[in-house]
Order: sequence, then structure tokens, then C-alpha cells
Amino acid sequence: MNVAILRLALAGSRSAVGRLAGIMAGVAIGVCLLLLLWGAADGLAQRDARGAWLRETGGPAYQPPVDGDPHAASVPIPLGPDTMLVARPAEHFRDSVINRVDVAALPDTSARIPGIPAPPKPGEYYASPALQELIQETPADQLADRFGSFAGTIGNEALPGRDSLIVVTGATESEIRSSNGGAGLVSEFTTNPYGDNALAYRTAFLAGGLAVLFPILLLISIVSNLGAAQRRERFATLRLIGATPGTVARISAAEAAVPCLAGALLGIALSALVRPLAAEIPVNGTRVFIDDLATDWTAAAVVAAAVVLSAMLAAGQRTLGAGTGPLGVTRAMPEPMPTPRRALPLLAGFLCLGALAFAAGVPELRSPWWEIPFMVGGFVLIMAGLVIIGPWLTLLVSRAGLRFARSAISVIASSRIAATPSATFRSVAGLVIAVFVVSIFAGGSSALRNVGVPAAVPGVLQPASVRTFIDPAASPDAVDALATQVNGTAGLHATVAYGSGGYGTDESGDQIYIEAAEAVWLGLTEAPDAGTAVLDAGFLNAWNREPVVASASPAILPELTPFAIIVHTDAAPESVDRARTLLVRSRVAAGPPMSPLDDAATGSTRLVAGLSALAYVGMFVAVSISAISLAVATASAMLDRKRILGLMRLMGMPASSLRRIVTREAAVPLLTVLLLAVGLGFLVAWMMVTSLGPAYKMDWPGADYFTALGLSLGIGAAALVSTFGLLRTSTGMSVTRFE
Amino acid sequence: MNAQAQTAPILSARGLRHSFGSTEALRGIDVDIHPGEVLAVMGPSGSGKSTLLHCLAGVITPDAGSVTYQPGPAVGQSVTISSLNEAGRSRLRLTEFGFVFQFGQLLPELSALDNVTIPLLLNGTRRKDALQRSAELLDRLGLQDNGTKRPSELSGGQAQRVAVARALATAPKILFADEPTGSLDSLAAENVLTQMLQLVREAGTTLVMITHDPRTAAYADREILVRDGAVAAGYQVAP
Amino acid sequence: MNNSLALLGLLQRQPSYGYDLKHSYDRYFGTEKALAFGQVYATLARMARDEFILALGDETGGGPDRKQYRITEAGQERVSDWLFTPDVPSENLQSNLFAKTVIALLTDDDAARLLELQRAEHMSRMRALTKLKQGASILQVLICDHGLFHIEADLRWIDLTGARLAQLKKELQGA
Ligand SMILES: Nc1ncnc2c1ncn2[C@@H]1O[C@H](COP(=O)(O)OP(=O)(O)OP(=O)(O)O)[C@@H](O)[C@H]1O
Ligand SMILES: [Mg+2]
Repeated sequence: MNVAILRLALAGSRSAVGRLAGIMAGVAIGVCLLLLLWGAADGLAQRDARGAWLRETGGPAYQPPVDGDPHAASVPIPLGPDTMLVARPAEHFRDSVINRVDVAALPDTSARIPGIPAPPKPGEYYASPALQELIQETPADQLADRFGSFAGTIGNEALPGRDSLIVVTGATESEIRSSNGGAGLVSEFTTNPYGDNALAYRTAFLAGGLAVLFPILLLISIVSNLGAAQRRERFATLRLIGATPGTVARISAAEAAVPCLAGALLGIALSALVRPLAAEIPVNGTRVFIDDLATDWTAAAVVAAAVVLSAMLAAGQRTLGAGTGPLGVTRAMPEPMPTPRRALPLLAGFLCLGALAFAAGVPELRSPWWEIPFMVGGFVLIMAGLVIIGPWLTLLVSRAGLRFARSAISVIASSRIAATPSATFRSVAGLVIAVFVVSIFAGGSSALRNVGVPAAVPGVLQPASVRTFIDPAASPDAVDALATQVNGTAGLHATVAYGSGGYGTDESGDQIYIEAAEAVWLGLTEAPDAGTAVLDAGFLNAWNREPVVASASPAILPELTPFAIIVHTDAAPESVDRARTLLVRSRVAAGPPMSPLDDAATGSTRLVAGLSALAYVGMFVAVSISAISLAVATASAMLDRKRILGLMRLMGMPASSLRRIVTREAAVPLLTVLLLAVGLGFLVAWMMVTSLGPAYKMDWPGADYFTALGLSLGIGAAALVSTFGLLRTSTGMSVTRFE
Repeated sequence: MNAQAQTAPILSARGLRHSFGSTEALRGIDVDIHPGEVLAVMGPSGSGKSTLLHCLAGVITPDAGSVTYQPGPAVGQSVTISSLNEAGRSRLRLTEFGFVFQFGQLLPELSALDNVTIPLLLNGTRRKDALQRSAELLDRLGLQDNGTKRPSELSGGQAQRVAVARALATAPKILFADEPTGSLDSLAAENVLTQMLQLVREAGTTLVMITHDPRTAAYADREILVRDGAVAAGYQVAP
Repeated sequence: MNNSLALLGLLQRQPSYGYDLKHSYDRYFGTEKALAFGQVYATLARMARDEFILALGDETGGGPDRKQYRITEAGQERVSDWLFTPDVPSENLQSNLFAKTVIALLTDDDAARLLELQRAEHMSRMRALTKLKQGASILQVLICDHGLFHIEADLRWIDLTGARLAQLKKELQGA
């Protein structure tokens, strides 16, 4: 390529420097974010694999009864030299779940637990560093007393993340067998992939990556168009002195290559720098190890190559798209008008999601093998579809707007939008995508809020109460002793419920009996004044929302068997954890203590909640990039038509009207597609929520959604306002000079 | 012209000076413009004609000197343009003045008709009325079939006539034209000019027109020659 | 162009001999056709009779080329009148205007003003013609246009000359 031609192409104007810097920054941010996302998807999968042993349930601890005789007692399988008896009672502290593994093993067992040298002896425990720290920071009667004495920490190689709360406690064989938590015999903790979240992570991050990549490509495309008017002239000059269209295309590609490569290197360096910061973001309840986020060189090369290529394509396409001939562009080339065909990708996306929605109700059809591609495909199609349909909708709205326009401002803005729908929409497309993504996560998290702590309702188990069933083998004296101990603790009150038989035995009926005076502690408003009260045993179920009525009963409590103990707390978190600790320590419980509060911390809701933290980070990035795009696009459009805007001011149009025109030109395309973006976002969210399971229902988005939405629009507005200064200076009276 | 000299000038400038950095564009100019007259402003390139026009129209504020606008005979009606603030001058330009330039003054995305309506809409006219008045003006200028075209679809002469229609839409008291026919051939220039003058004279609008072309200037009632930022000898206001 | 006034103008610079006058004249104005000696002496004689000039040191026996001439006050007034009276725009105006400009420059008079006065004259003539065009028949319009274009050509020359006065003056003084 001719050096002189190249020099002419690069001849440094200020906008050229801005373009190159913009392309470089865009590529750098893109490479950095994508590398982090790649690292996160990979790292989270690894992390899941490291935590796989926690899901090990082992083989049955009992021989099934012979000949299917339902009344024959099952025979325990004895502990061997290479097996351990393992129970995994659910343990809660405040609103987090502690992964508790109770083990009993022969002293010389050869079975090994990951991360610790040998199984703990009864009364000892190994804890993850994060949990041990928590134990030390918390008064013993709220947490430490549940576990025994500290034997050591669990090694990182057995921990999913830095904040993982894991404890391995030693117990006697009989303790574990008597616990109702379903003990299992384990000979080896395998890396059992079942139940991991790797696929979900990869899906989420693929979608997230696309959502981030899109605004970046948009930014690069917009930045490439900086100083378009001048550039068209320069390329026209090149064509006039004999450059072929191919040469011009190569020049603009070469021009973009240098900042692209520089940006890619910068992005790789940046990702290494930002990694510790990114590792601070909690995903699924724990921050990740920094090393988990690290990517190898292949990943860096692949990501860099992909971003650089698409950036160069975006830049080159904009130059070629201008279609500069040797005579330049003396008359503005009309933009090709968008047609209704632009609705197709969006419709295709709808079809994908529709298929998913349909299949959600038909269990036989469900399979991740097609649901995941449909989900991702539908997501991509809808996201792309939004951007593709945008100009067409914008065109329709602006045409209607022009018809009904009454002020000069709306005539000017509507006409401009109608003449260049693609260009005007492009400047807000990033914000539209951001709003779409925010809506998805808002929809998702609205389902999670739904599963939150229930409000206190009379006749229903009180939210801040803790209860446990009582081991039928426990002596009534021990139960009384426990009740007394609980009642002696500030903020707690124990109520013992009796049954016609012990918990889990055939004699236990579906009614429980309490002293009538206790009814008030359970939140029962309708109860007899004295004597014994009887109520439905369903009252003890955490999910029960039906108010229960207690009625008088002739039964005499001491003749019945203690069935459950319900601890009323004053709802202070400390009291709740004291109650939990007391119940865990007592040897009368037939399982881990439970509280309606537990649900807030349990289940796969954590996964989505954890991811939504990430989503808000992603949203912030997308919105910021889009805001920059909007500012750049607005500014460059303003510079391209500064003369005509200057003449408008000369004619007597106040500067405030010009500001309103510019604002409207951004607001109309944004608002046109905003509702669509919000609606589709919630639709996609609904799909995702439905696929989590029937327990989750979407709800109205919470205040944080409107905050996020308002914030996005606010950032966009700020970006727009930041260009107003330019509007004033660039339309000063000197622009009316023709020289 | 004697008759005009007796009426009070509608626009009167005294001692106008203006510099751009170290370039002295105006070095003390006195001009009187009389109601209803057509004044041609001539002079070599860079002599300060456009700067003078901008000062007269309140587009820029001169460094020194004053511009007084007296739209009617009543004494209290006069406005010292050079001491108005930006908002005041904007309003004055919008309601009292019209502007035509050499080229490229139409909003490219608007149809010819819409372009003409803009100043009317800015003045608060209802769009329906504005469209009607604009269509009438375009008719008068022989553009009845071009109302829906965009400026890029018009010839230079047609675009200039649209610009004239826009400038006259609000029935301004003074029309300022900076080389209105500068980019047209002789015949097109003459057509645009005669049509503009016909409308201007009918409405009694005062026209201040910069031109390099003597034949264009010959349409004026009077001319002044600007040279090196001053009105040339022989064209000065009688003291 | 008026030869006698041009000669008179040349005399305004300094007293000269007839011989030198002829050569000066030829240098500035006679590029196409030199002035004949006879014509010079005839003109000088006529101007002396009209008391626009005086013959100095009337050396007896000398021919006309041995005589030195000086301009009188009446002569100076005559030149000034000539310079600052714009000519009616016409076909043969050009050479006269040119002579006037050169003389004005040579005599350090206000050439710019001279041109501006001429310009105003041209413009008012053009305005008159333009007025005539209004409502006239196409034939008449064409005739007016012809006149307009000619006057315009002069006007353009005037403007151009006006823009080049400084340069012209330097050249004349150098010569
Ligand atoms: N915005 C500006 N910044 C700097 N100098 C300026 C500016 N506007 C005008 N000038 C200078 O002021 C002088 C007068 O300019 P002006 O535009 O008034 O000339 P003009 O008579 O209109 O010329 P033309 O016939 O070429 O349009 C020129 O020397 C010009 O360079
Ligand atoms: Mg100018």
C-alpha cells in the first residue's frame, strides 16, 4: 500500500485521535470484560467440582427389610475399616447455610475426607477458615457450642470459595444413626457431578457475555463513525487520486488494526489488574478464589482475536457503508429505510421462548438438551431482534409524531428521526439492551423475593420460632430439662408439644397437644383458656399458611409422648441462633432444628440471587458503556450538523430549543423500544424462573428494579446533558461562515 | 431616496467596531437603513460585510458602537440591539428579522414545506395555520409542486426560494440576505431575486442584502461599499 | 480618452520638456499607439493659449522640444475636475478612466476616491437600466441586459483596479 495514501488517510485531525483512542478503549474494555467472564464461567465450574464432595450422600446405612415385610425391623450395616457413617443435617446461622457434615468412623478407618488429614473424633470438628472466623467472632452459645472443639481447618482444595461455610464434625456411630437426617455409608468422597451448577453458570455467562459484548461493539461502531463528514471527504479525495474501493477498505481496516491490537493487549493487562476486584463479587453466597478467575493464554488469544476481528469489522463496515465515490458525498445519501422485515428475528426469538413456555408445562418434553440451546438462542435472538426492530419502530413512531407535531422542536426532531431512523436508534441501542438485561434479572429476583420470610400470621407457626422434633427414645425428663434450659435463656421460651406416639412412630397421630396456657407463645389466638389444647400437627410444617385452631381436649399431657419442642424467640438474630444452638446441642432432637427463617437462606434461590449480583455489575458496565456511546453519538451527530444548527440559532431559535431537539432525538427511539425491552426482559425472566421449578412465581419487580431502571435512564440523561456544552459552543455564530 | 432620508431610519448603526482576535473586521461604521428600502452592501472579500450584517441583525454584539432598531414612528419603540442580552436578541431575530444565506441553510431532513413552517412554529403559530401560510408562500414563489421534497431533492434555485419563503414566513420587518444568489447562475439568480423583491416590496419589508454581483446590487434602491472594515468614501451617512 | 488632459496631468508632477512629456505619455498610455510629436506640440500650444500651462525660460531659437512647460493653477483645477468627475458609462470610457487613475497615482491624488465615484456612477446607471427592465418587453429586457453586462464588466474592472491600487502605484513610481 502506498505510504503517501496511508499517511493521508491517517492525517491527524483531532477527531482522528478521538476515533483511534475510542476504538482502543472499546476493544480494551471488551477484551477485559470477556476475559473476566470467561474466567468466571470456568472458575465457577471448577469451584463447583471442588465442592462436589459436599453433596456425597453415600450408600444406605441399613439393610432393606427382607421379603418386603413392612414390619420387619431394618438391620443396620456395620461400619467397616474403609467406610464412614455420614449425615448432613442442615445448619443455619443468621441467614446463611452452613454445610455441616457429621461423620462417625472407626478410629483406624482408611476412608478419607477431602481437605482434612483424618476424620474428626467425636466431639471435634474441622471448619473452613471462613466458618472458623465466624465461630470465633460469635459468642459460643450462638454458634460454637453446636460443633464441639476445634481440630483444624479444612484445606482450600476442598472449599468452593473463600467464604464457604463448611464444618466436618465428629460424632459417635449411634448419634448419627439415631439422627433423623438420613445417614449414609460413605467409602469415598467422589467428585460426583450430579447436582452441580456448571451448565447454569455457563449459560448465564454466555448470555452475560453477549449482553456485554453487544454494547461494546456498538461503542466501537459509533466511535468509528466519529468525524464521519470529514472522513467521507478524505476518502473521497483518496478515491479521486486513484485509490480503488478495495484500497480504501484496506486503509480503514489497517487504520483500525493498530488501536485494536493495542486495545487487546491493554484489555488483557487490565483483566489481570481487575481480577482481584472481580473476585470480591459474591456469586452464590461466596466470593471466589482469585486463581479461579485466571484464564490461560489460549483463552486470552481467542477472546482478543474475536474482539479485535469484530471491532475491525464494525469499523470497516461503517467506512464501506458510507459508499464514498470519487466525487465524495456532495449530497447527503439517504439512509435506506427500515422495513417490517426487521421484526423477523424478534419473532423467531418469541417462537423459541414460546416453545420453552409450552414445554414447561409438559414434563415429557423437558430436557436440557434442547432447552438450553433454545434458551440461549431465544435470548440472543430477542436481544438482537430488539436492536434490529428498533429503527423500524422508531421510524413508525416518528412518522406518526411528525403528523401530530405542533411545535418546531417536534417537527425538527421527528423529521430527523424519520430521515435517519437507524442512526438515531443506534445511539440509544446500548441503553435498550441494558434495560432489557436489567429487566430479566429484576424479573428473576422478583421470584426470589417471593420466597422470602413470611409475615407473622395468627394461627400459623411464628416466623422467628425454631422447632425440632423429639427423638422417641429421649426421656421425658431430658425434654423437660431442655425446656427449662431454654426458658432460662433471655428472649427464648420453649413449648413442648406432645403426641399420642413419638415422632416418626406408627402411633403418632396427626394431632398434637399443648398446655392451653402455651397457646399464646405459638401465636394461636383461638385457644381454650385452661387445661389441654389440641391442634393439627400440620401446624409444625414450615410451609403451612392455613391458620390453625386449638380446641380444648380432655387429654392429660404427662400420659402422652413428647413430640416436638417449639422455641419462641424475640426475633433478634442472636436469640434465634441461641435457640438453634441449644436445640442442636441437646441430645433429644430427632433432627436438625428448623425455622421458617431458614427458607430465606436455602435452595437454588441462592444461585439466581448470587448471579443477580453479578447481573447488576454487568448492567452497570453495559449502561456506562452505552452512556458513553450515547454521548459520543450525540456529539458526533451534533458536530456533523453544527452549521445548520448554528443557522437555526441565528434565525432566533433559542439554545434551549436546540437542547430539546437533541434530547428528543435520543428520547423518542429510547422510549419507543423501552417498553418492548422491559416486556421482553420480563418474558425471558419468566421463562428462566419457570424452568427453575413450579415453586417460583414471578411478581412485580421490586424497588431496586425501578432504581436500576431510573439509574440507567439517569446515566443516559447525564450523558446527553454532557453534550450540551458542546451544543452551545459548536453552534456559535462563527459556524455560519462559509469560508 | 430623498423621501426616505426624511423618515427616521428603521435601523441605525453608529461607530461599529468589531475584532476577531487581532483581525479588525469593523473599524467604525455608521449606517442608516430606512424603512422599506432595499439596500445592497458591496465590498471586496474579507472587508467585513458579513460581520456588519451580523452586528446589525444582533447576531453578534459589536465591541463598540451601537445599533438601534426603530420599527415604528413612536419614539419609545426603539430598541438598542447592541445592548440586549442573547435571549432578547434571539427573540428579536425570531420575530422582527428574517435571514437568507448563500446555501445550506435548510434543515436537510425536513420537507420544503416543513422548513418554511419552522419560524412560524417557533413563534407559536398553530401547525395547521403555519402549513397553510407556508404553502401560500411557496405558491407565490412558484414552488407549489415541491413542498414535499427534501432540500437534497431541490435545485439550488429552488432551495434558495424555499429559504426566502422561510425568511419571509413570519412577515419580518427587516430581511437580511448574505449573498442570497451567490451560488446560482445568472438566470436563476435573477428569478430568485425578482421573486424575493416582489414579495419584499409588497410587504414593505426592508431588505439588507450583501452581494458581490453588481447586477444583483442594481436591484437595490441604494448601495453602500464596505472597504477594510469601513464604509467607503462617497457612501457615508450624511452627518 | 482625452490626450490633452492626460498630458496636463503629467505636467502636474513636475515641469517638463515637450520631448520628455511625449515619452512619459508613451510609457504609460501609448502601448498601442505612440503619440506623434506634432500632436504633442499642438496640444501644448492649445493649452498654453488656454492658460493651463506656461512655457518656462523661453529660450529663443529653440524648437518646441527645447521648451519647458509648467502647469498653472487653472490647469491644476482643470485636472482635478477631470479626475473627480465620473464619466458616463460608455464604450470608450475605459481608456479615460485608466488615464485618470494613472495620473491620480502619479500625482499622489486620491485614486481610490476617483474609482469609487466612478463606481457609484456605474451603479446608478445599472439601477436605472434594471428599473427599465421591470415590466418591459423581452426585447427591451435583452437590450438592457446587454448594457448591464457591459457596465458590469467596467465595474468589475474598477473593483479589481481598486484592489490593486497599491501595487499599481508602486510600479508606476518604480518606472
Ligand atoms: N469568526 C471569525 N473569526 C476570525 N476572524 C473572522 C471571523 N469572522 C470574520 N473574520 C475576519 O473578519 C474579516 C471580515 O470578515 P467578513 O466575513 O465580515 O468578510 P466579508 O466581507 O463578509 O467577506 P466575504 O465577501 O468573503 O464573505 C475577515 O478578515 C475575516 O477573516
Ligand atoms: Mg461574507
